[in-house]
Amino acid sequence: MSMHGVPNGIVNPPRPLTDADEEAAQEKAGGFGMAPGTMVMALVFLAVFAVYYFTNWKLLSVVWQVG
Amino acid sequence: MKGGFRICPTTALRVHRQADGLIKANAVAATVLLLVGGITGLLVLLTRWQAVHLLDAVMFYRVLTIHGMSMLIFFIIFFEMAILYFAGPVLLNSRVPAPKLGWSMFWLMVLGAVMVEWTMWTGRADVLFTSYVPLKAHPLFYLGVILFAVGTLITVAVFFGSLVVAKREKTYEGSVPLVTYGAITAAIIAVITLVHGAAIYIPTFLWSIGIGNVDPQVYRMVWWGLGHSSQQINVAAMVAVWYLLGALTVGSVVINEKISRTAFVLYILFISMASAHHLLVDPGMGPTWKVVNTSYFMYMAVLASMIHGFTVPAGIEVGQRVRGLTKGMFEWLRRAPWGDPGFSALVFSVIIFGFVGGITGVTFGTEQINIIAHNTLRIPGHFHATVVAGTALAFMGVTYYVIPLIFRKKVAFWPLAKIQPYLFAFGMLIFSVAMTFAGTFGIPRRHWDMTFSDALFDVQFSPAVNLVVTVMALGGLIAALGGAIYILVTVWSVFLGQPMEGDATYVDARSS
Repeated sequence: MSMHGVPNGIVNPPRPLTDADEEAAQEKAGGFGMAPGTMVMALVFLAVFAVYYFTNWKLLSVVWQVG
Repeated sequence: MKGGFRICPTTALRVHRQADGLIKANAVAATVLLLVGGITGLLVLLTRWQAVHLLDAVMFYRVLTIHGMSMLIFFIIFFEMAILYFAGPVLLNSRVPAPKLGWSMFWLMVLGAVMVEWTMWTGRADVLFTSYVPLKAHPLFYLGVILFAVGTLITVAVFFGSLVVAKREKTYEGSVPLVTYGAITAAIIAVITLVHGAAIYIPTFLWSIGIGNVDPQVYRMVWWGLGHSSQQINVAAMVAVWYLLGALTVGSVVINEKISRTAFVLYILFISMASAHHLLVDPGMGPTWKVVNTSYFMYMAVLASMIHGFTVPAGIEVGQRVRGLTKGMFEWLRRAPWGDPGFSALVFSVIIFGFVGGITGVTFGTEQINIIAHNTLRIPGHFHATVVAGTALAFMGVTYYVIPLIFRKKVAFWPLAKIQPYLFAFGMLIFSVAMTFAGTFGIPRRHWDMTFSDALFDVQFSPAVNLVVTVMALGGLIAALGGAIYILVTVWSVFLGQPMEGDATYVDARSS
């Protein structure tokens, strides 16, 4: 719980990590590595980028028609 | 000049008294300029919102100039100077090597900013942020920018000096922390930026007093070495703040130091070339120059942002998972401290910067697409997502830690502070996306009247733009409310706030 007027990271700082923590995390890593949620978000980002980028090329072809 | 260190009860860092003072001074100056920029931004918004159309043409361009300079140069750079004093002397447990020089340069920056503000407010510099030649402002406008730049450059030198002092006095072990490394990147880009600024503002100042001439195309090319690169100082500083906030709020880990540091180096090497995308429709540059700079070099800087955009959330996720939040794909995110304004600001900054600012920016960097986007509202739609929702929001988030850690005050109006990043991010998201849509319909940027009334030619836009611009205005108003809450909270906390418990006594270095 955060103290009124002081962020949680100061009142209740994250527990320092040990080497054992990191080894345990590496053991649990699945097919998407140690950060599967971030991998999913990165793939969503790439999909959004692709859609936006090619939509712009389509728009360009409409605005500046050839012939 | 008083010295001595205090031990931060939270971080156990040794904080030099002069570093404390200089961080506070720069942060306060930044907030004042943010207020100026915010008020003028609101006036710009209420004029561009055709249903209100508040200001006349002359006042609109005047206020737009003030908004641009106050936000993109003064607010951001004062805040970055505060970050340099934090990332150098504080994070390295070191002293400020030349505090008198640091203070002199702070006051020089204030003097420069005041001179520029005076010329703008009094109608002597209605030349917009870019001050494109042959638009001519009062000589004090250019001189003010030069003085501000000199103050900044020497403050950056003081920062580099603090690195040397820390190394020599062995105040840290091993390599500098990643946050400091990011700040060094920002400082190096600042030097590149300010050299461009000097190279163009000195001859322009001389031209304004009747000495010599300035070629408009040369001006545009060199000026963007300042105008765009100054925003890349922001990016490097913002990424450094992302790593800092990740560590402070949830104990995120750096998943690969070498990759993160290499990404910072990519910024230094390539980001200045990205300035060329402002000149993609200029007739003075050849296609090879444009394509090499924007479709090769710029992508290396984009790669750096994509690396950071991955490693920062991945570091948060790994940090959360090793602390036990391992259920499913997103328990680490669901059970994150969303009530901590530092954390929420960090997440929204990363998402809006990447998804809106990043994607639109890369797309504009393509020469052909730039033709349909250039000088439309799509451009400010992009940079409000990067500079405002990205950088300014990250800086707001870190302020909620700076107030207790540096100012030694509790954050006032805590419930308001907790919702502030949500309001600001939500408002800016609507604002920048709607602005981008309006630009897609061809609405020009920097234009007082989108109906082109009294113009010699007739321009018709789709009726849909009225709806889009209204949505943009509503988003802007929500963001302005978030910005106003930020200023209320920070000013009240700093000047009238409740002191933090714990010892903050400065002890001389020899006895500490």
